[in-house]
Amino acid sequence: MRIPLTLLALTSSCLSALALDLKGRVQWNDHCPGIDDLRQAKVVLDNGKHRGGVTRDGTFTIPDVPAGTYVLSVLAHDHVFEQMRVDVLETETLPEVRPYFPGTPLSPPSTVTLPYPIVLSARAKYDYFVPRESFNVLAMFKNPMMMMMLGAGVLVLLMPTMMKNMDPEVMEEFKERQAKMSGMQSALQSGDLMGGISQMLAGDEPKAASSGTSKGASSSGAKHRGPKNKRR
Amino acid sequence: MRLFTLCLLAACARALHSYEVGVTDWHKPFAGVPLLLSESTSPVFHRSKHQDGQSSSMILSATQSNVLAAYHSVNGSLAWRHLFEDEDNILAFRKDKDVVAALSGPGGAYFRIFDSTAGHLLSETRLHDPTAGLLQEPGSLGIAVAFGSEEKEKDIFVLTNGHTLRRLSRRTGEVSWGWTAPDQTSSVIYSKILVTPSTVYLLGLTKSFASYTLHITSLSPETGELIDSGDIPSRITSGLSEPLVLSDVKQPETNPQIVWLEEGAIKAFPLTPGLKSKSSVVKGAVYKNIEDVGLSEYGQFVAIKDDGSGRVIKLTPEGLKVIWEFSDSATSPQRTGSIYSGGIDVDGFPYIARVFWMHTLKLASAHVFAAHLAEGKGLVTGFTFPFKTGEHGIITHVAVEAANPEPYRVLARLALTTSTGAVQMWQQDQLQWTREEGLADIPVAELVELPERKIASHSESDQETFGARVARQLLDAQDFPQYAVNFIRRFVTGSYASVSSSVAPPANTTEPLSRDAFGFRKVIVAATSHGKLYGIDSANGEILWSRVFGLGWAAQVGGHIIPAKMFVTRTVNDGDSPQVVLVTQRKANNGLVDTVLFHVDALTGDDARDKSQSVDVLQGEDIVSGPLVEAFLLRTASGRAVVCLDEFLQVNVYPNDDETMQALEKILPSVRIPLRTGPPGQRRLTGHQIPKTVEFTGKHIAYPTWSLPFPPSEDIRAIFVRPSDPVASFGKVLGNRTTLYKYLNPNLVGVVTGPPSTAPLSESSTCSIYLVDGAKGTVIYHAVLPSVAGACDVKAALVENWLVYHYYDNEVGVNHAKGYRVVSVELYEGYGVDDKRRSSEMSSLSNETTAVSVYEQAYIFPRGIRTLTPTSTSYGISVKDIIVANENNQIQSFPRRFLDPRRPKQKPTAEEAEEWLIQYDPVLPDDPKRVLSRNYQVAKTRRIITSPALLESTSLVFAYGLDLFFTRVAPSNTFDVLSESFNKAQLMITIAGLALAIAIVKPIVARKRLRERWYN
Repeated sequence: MRIPLTLLALTSSCLSALALDLKGRVQWNDHCPGIDDLRQAKVVLDNGKHRGGVTRDGTFTIPDVPAGTYVLSVLAHDHVFEQMRVDVLETETLPEVRPYFPGTPLSPPSTVTLPYPIVLSARAKYDYFVPRESFNVLAMFKNPMMMMMLGAGVLVLLMPTMMKNMDPEVMEEFKERQAKMSGMQSALQSGDLMGGISQMLAGDEPKAASSGTSKGASSSGAKHRGPKNKRR
Repeated sequence: MRLFTLCLLAACARALHSYEVGVTDWHKPFAGVPLLLSESTSPVFHRSKHQDGQSSSMILSATQSNVLAAYHSVNGSLAWRHLFEDEDNILAFRKDKDVVAALSGPGGAYFRIFDSTAGHLLSETRLHDPTAGLLQEPGSLGIAVAFGSEEKEKDIFVLTNGHTLRRLSRRTGEVSWGWTAPDQTSSVIYSKILVTPSTVYLLGLTKSFASYTLHITSLSPETGELIDSGDIPSRITSGLSEPLVLSDVKQPETNPQIVWLEEGAIKAFPLTPGLKSKSSVVKGAVYKNIEDVGLSEYGQFVAIKDDGSGRVIKLTPEGLKVIWEFSDSATSPQRTGSIYSGGIDVDGFPYIARVFWMHTLKLASAHVFAAHLAEGKGLVTGFTFPFKTGEHGIITHVAVEAANPEPYRVLARLALTTSTGAVQMWQQDQLQWTREEGLADIPVAELVELPERKIASHSESDQETFGARVARQLLDAQDFPQYAVNFIRRFVTGSYASVSSSVAPPANTTEPLSRDAFGFRKVIVAATSHGKLYGIDSANGEILWSRVFGLGWAAQVGGHIIPAKMFVTRTVNDGDSPQVVLVTQRKANNGLVDTVLFHVDALTGDDARDKSQSVDVLQGEDIVSGPLVEAFLLRTASGRAVVCLDEFLQVNVYPNDDETMQALEKILPSVRIPLRTGPPGQRRLTGHQIPKTVEFTGKHIAYPTWSLPFPPSEDIRAIFVRPSDPVASFGKVLGNRTTLYKYLNPNLVGVVTGPPSTAPLSESSTCSIYLVDGAKGTVIYHAVLPSVAGACDVKAALVENWLVYHYYDNEVGVNHAKGYRVVSVELYEGYGVDDKRRSSEMSSLSNETTAVSVYEQAYIFPRGIRTLTPTSTSYGISVKDIIVANENNQIQSFPRRFLDPRRPKQKPTAEEAEEWLIQYDPVLPDDPKRVLSRNYQVAKTRRIITSPALLESTSLVFAYGLDLFFTRVAPSNTFDVLSESFNKAQLMITIAGLALAIAIVKPIVARKRLRERWYN
């Protein structure tokens, strides 16, 4: 009769030794300055069988946690908290706390250990909203498409006058360059990358060297305009 | 990769703008129906003092939804609430100045202290292992909370498990000493504490033959040392909470006394630390009851004489004295029995209110007695108030707060709790506010479409004279100018009906209910477990109408109605106003259960059977004299009928007319009903059919056709079916121009099984999810899921050919991670692409119903959920998202693209990219932009209903549980309306700019052309 009794006493003392009260604190910070901001929150292990409420001063206690490996998470409505891995060991009185990233395997455990009692702090506040796009003329014209359109419009309007006032020699050069550009563009478009690059490289060469190639291209453009200038 | 998906998510997320809060959605927070089991959980007034010397009044209450809540007395808004876990039942709470202490869990396992003004948790202490808690009946037995007798910083004394007393610090909840009854095996159960400066008295009862004996233990408040213990010669035959402990805070020198009722006499025993006194008897009358009105600290209680009249008895230094007898309080057929309640005023003087209902006047009456007024002789003031018993049932509890602004004048505020779950505040005869807390307990609800607004009235008769017609048309034309103005304004300014605008009607309109342009406005018909049916406007959550259920014949004996299912039997598309049938179980107090149908007009709440007046209670039809086994809606050629199967599997049809019966006969051969049968613990799924022949009772009796037994370690936990939404496409065209045809067997039934509730909880037990062909019992899909310590928490939803289920995986090992999982399963016909079997119209006898290919993928879910549901749109073209109610008290949507079971494991190929498939990533992102409930805390959600709007893109979402929450979602964006960012002004400016440019350029070009002609 005596032996079972002592056994019983032993097991009960063992049981009480194995279970541990996990203590920790939520560190208030800019994201979450106090309990008013946090509202009712709790710290849970795994799926919430073991849990503790966060009190006004940020402390929490998860009572009687048996030995094992747990994932600690914070259930807070508006704030993001890190998850942690908590190992309650049978032999030691202090648990091991490590950072944990959801979706990663629990073993092998991370080599980084965190201090105990656990200190948690809000990483961010959930932002549920997308700002409203409001109508703004300036913003509308800041749009690159709009700016391009405007630029094109200005060019269309100013081109004839610019052309008129241009020196014939500069004009000639401009046309040449334009033709080269268009040739390069068409080459790029047709997929002839090498041709396009060679065209581009050709553009960098001294003018004298490139004059031969550009002659043919510029002649067509000059044909129309040439007589016009002559007659003036 | 994660970054990419997040970017993508941000791109496709429907913009949630802060300006839409409260416009397109609404949230009604509730606390639940007050828990009236004992005085220690019932509503009570509390006055909290602010720092500036002002004080404000609150009502504190524990509720049936397991919430501790405080309402502002002024407007009835929730000051704060603290949600307790479902298995952590609140047993008692006590208030003192700035703190509220609450005991919860089996035997009082948890003790929490709250700040009384803001509801902040100050400390949380576990007093014992919940599994070691003694479950008492009632739950408030064996536990008590008391505050110490110090002037300031009173410590708290907590009695748990019937025999353990602890003294805890008020600030930190730290235990300074504990005392446990040495002989726990004896039958003494303590249930009351009285703290005096010198002694702590524990009052308990010892069970002896046929009666109870009072047992008292006195302890030292400083050390917890036992002073004395002993029985008091007494015989208490009824009720365990009856003995009272009286003391008087106004006169602390008065010896406290224990008061109990023994054989019609009130006996009292003065408490001294040594327990050496003699019990005395209050002479003068025979009593049948004594009632604790919450004023035992003020030495007052109410005793009911054997003729029913109530007397106020007060503790005085000379002993107990009858100080008042309420006039006309004897039992009478002209009024109901009285409810007595005690309250105090700002200065701490006690008042006792007596509230009763007068059958003759149809009014409620209140008498408030103040013992200290009229030079200590006692003063009673009375008033009647127009309580609407037809709307709120009967008064079940009263809490009172009084004020004494001038001598001989008492103002009383009454907080009433009614049988329909309403909490009302009356200031004298003025109703201040009403909270329909019954809405925190909705078992079934449906969204009902509204009819269009009638624009022009059509003349009914052909014999309309010319004059009359002209007059009518002129009358119709009177709105034309307004219409024309509206038209022009709409054309010019672009103020179209917006999808992000409120659809609530402007205030003070008496227009009949009508839908808005996009069909966002519907009526939510919700039945509560507290015997009331509500019609709620989905535009703003206002209650449009409400009806109280009649009990039929059970009104004689009393009973309650438990809603089981609700069906929309007539919609606006059928013409006429929509109608709803509610199938309920009526449990009479004599133990008989009947199935009762209520049939109402969804727009007005009027009885569609015309059996009850609109002002009276709603009477139902007893369709089955016995419990209900299954009820479902049958779509016949002539309309919709409700079919109820009783325990003998007899088919009862409502409406029971010839037309419906004939339509029923026609479709009977194709009806297949899977039912769960067998005793609990070994339930099986049995398929039933209904024969064409009628039994001699005149009813069809369903017969079993197949049976699907599950392994002995499994018992059916839940059955779910596919919603009857339309399916837009029967196949899915892949990137390589082949097609996967969806498996759309109409008889598909989902079953969740788990270990039987009778089996002991063990880690090794497993849960299962099955998809079964409900016509012949073939298992189409089966997965075994881990259980969490023997408990199954599997949530599943089935829509079209898509099954989604959520569970917790507890496995720890190499390459394992504990966490929540969601599995997405898609079923396709045949064994590959382009294998078309026409499953949606296949005969249930065909072999090909088993030709299924399954695609599935598991994902890591951010957190636990309470329920999940797919979105629902009117044609089923829009993508179906999954809406979940998560443990963070949020309603969140998870896009279908992330849950697609065909997400490739490698970088998507061009073909896969064409299908918009994204690379598999095991972790589902937790995106706050997809939290539909945003800042609202939508707590303890029981179910989410989704319902289509007129716009194909939009689905209406209604979540209920403790709170009500309503919003809209557009899973594929609002593709069928102009986007919110569409800017008519921008468009107009651009067009105007282009026109201007043309106007400027045109003459230039013309001039140039002319010149070219000249010079060429």
